[in-house]
Parts: sequence; structure tokens; C-alpha cells
Amino acid sequence: MRLAEIDRGDSLKSRLLIRFISMVSGMRLPDAARVAFYHRDFLGPLGAWTQATMRGPSEWSVGERELMAAMVARWNSCAFCIGAHRATSAKGLGKATVDAALADYRTAPLPAGLVATLGFLETLTRTPESVTAADARAVLAAGVSQSALTDAVAVATVFGVITRYADALQFAIPTEAEYDTAASMLLKRGYA
Amino acid sequence: MERTDHPALAARLEQRVFNEPADTPADLRQAMGQRAAGGPPIAAPYDDIARQIGEAAYRVTDAQVATLRAKMGTERATFELIVAAAVGAALERWRKGAATIAEAVK
Repeated sequence: MRLAEIDRGDSLKSRLLIRFISMVSGMRLPDAARVAFYHRDFLGPLGAWTQATMRGPSEWSVGERELMAAMVARWNSCAFCIGAHRATSAKGLGKATVDAALADYRTAPLPAGLVATLGFLETLTRTPESVTAADARAVLAAGVSQSALTDAVAVATVFGVITRYADALQFAIPTEAEYDTAASMLLKRGYA
Repeated sequence: MERTDHPALAARLEQRVFNEPADTPADLRQAMGQRAAGGPPIAAPYDDIARQIGEAAYRVTDAQVATLRAKMGTERATFELIVAAAVGAALERWRKGAATIAEAVK
């Protein structure tokens, strides 16, 4: 973590909360959660959008949305977020499926609509200027609804923000066991 | 099925990060966001880190953050500008994605 104030908390309430959650969970509270507690007034709308996108109504399951987050992290080379969302999506889709998708989503055992959607998200994430209406039509032709594709673009957007600040601030990388504990917390508590 | 109002949530995020009062001037946050979204160069030292966050944030260095921190004077202000760059790059993709879907169903 490159900004010490985020690491320790910027108010007495945050500092106590960081200490309390770390104690109860038996692990250092991950930097993603420390950022969520920091300067809340500024970043609050991102938390609200992330919570609605990842846990609100959608044709995608929570596991599928978490896989999209992990894929965006992969395309943006964000090691912290790959680990966090790999662990969280694995709780819904299974570790073998998630790891196959992270290796190559085109050949992974995923529904055709999800594979097509990931193709659209990859172009949008890596080379947004090259995405076309034909790309979107191909996803719709694979049986994905307009609202489901919009939900997926929202996942790519909020994680387009989170992966960038995670790397700019250099989030500390938890262990595999800590990622697993954090994934359970993320499924239980959400993002807001 | 009930739907999430993504355009409203995106607009709220944009409004808070780029237009409402914070520790840093709104026009500087806007400049960081536009540069990270592929806009023209801005003044030093903001240009270097804004471009880096937009293009490949995993390549941001300790020195780039330390330079920005020294210029801004506080960690909160540094944080605001890093977030502004990240939000600028991501919201550019949101707009592009939403417009592309709208065009596809016309």
C-alpha cells in the first residue's frame, strides 16, 4: 500500500473497524476493504454501483459476475483482483471452471452466452476504441439479452476503476487461504 | 425482472468524482480523468501518472505516486487524483459499451 493513511485508517472509527474485522477474521483486512473505509464521502458512489452491479438483480449469477470481475482483472494485469475474484467466483462456479476460464475463457466449460459476453468485455477493456455494434450483435445472437449485456458492461466498468487504483496504490497480495476467507466475507457482506 | 439503473449510478459516480467539492479542485480531477481516458497531455507531474493509470496501472511506480504525493501535500488529495484517473478511464469504457449496445439494437 503506497498511501499509509489508507493502511491505518483515516478516522478513529475506521481504525477500530479495521482492527476489529482483522481480529475476528484472523487475517489482515485486505487493502480493497481499507480503501472502502477511506474518504468514504468521495468513493461512496462507486461502492453503491459496485454493490448493485455485483449483488443486485441480474440474469447473471453472482458467480458469473465474479468471474467477469476476475477476467477484467486478468486483462488489466491486476494480481490482487485476479486472486480476490478468482476465489469468490470459485465458490459459485467451482475452482476448476474458474481456473479454466482464466487460462482461456473461449475453451472453458462455460455457457455460450457467457463466453460471447466475455469476448465483448475483453475488447471493451483492452481496446475500447475497436468495439463495434457488430460485436454487441454477436453477443445478443448468442442469446444474451440487452439488459444482461449492459449488466456485464457495468461489471467491466466498476472493475475498470478498482483494478486501476488497486495497482496504482499497490495493494498487498494476500495468501491463498486469506483470499478464501475474504471471498466468504465478500459473499456475505457485499461491496457497499 | 427488476433491473439496476446503471446509467443513474454511473452519473452519480461521475458527478461525485469530477464535479462536487473535494480536497482537490474539480478541474484538476477532470483533467486527470480525461487524460487517463486517452485525452491530450496535461501539466507535469499529473500527466505521467494519469496516462499510466489509464494505459497500464500495474506499471505505476513508487516514484510516480511519491511525486504526486509531494506535489499535492496530503494523502487524501493524492488519493482523489488517483481515483479520478481510474474513474475517467473506466467511464470512457462504460460510455463506449452503452453506446455500442444502443447502436446494435437500433
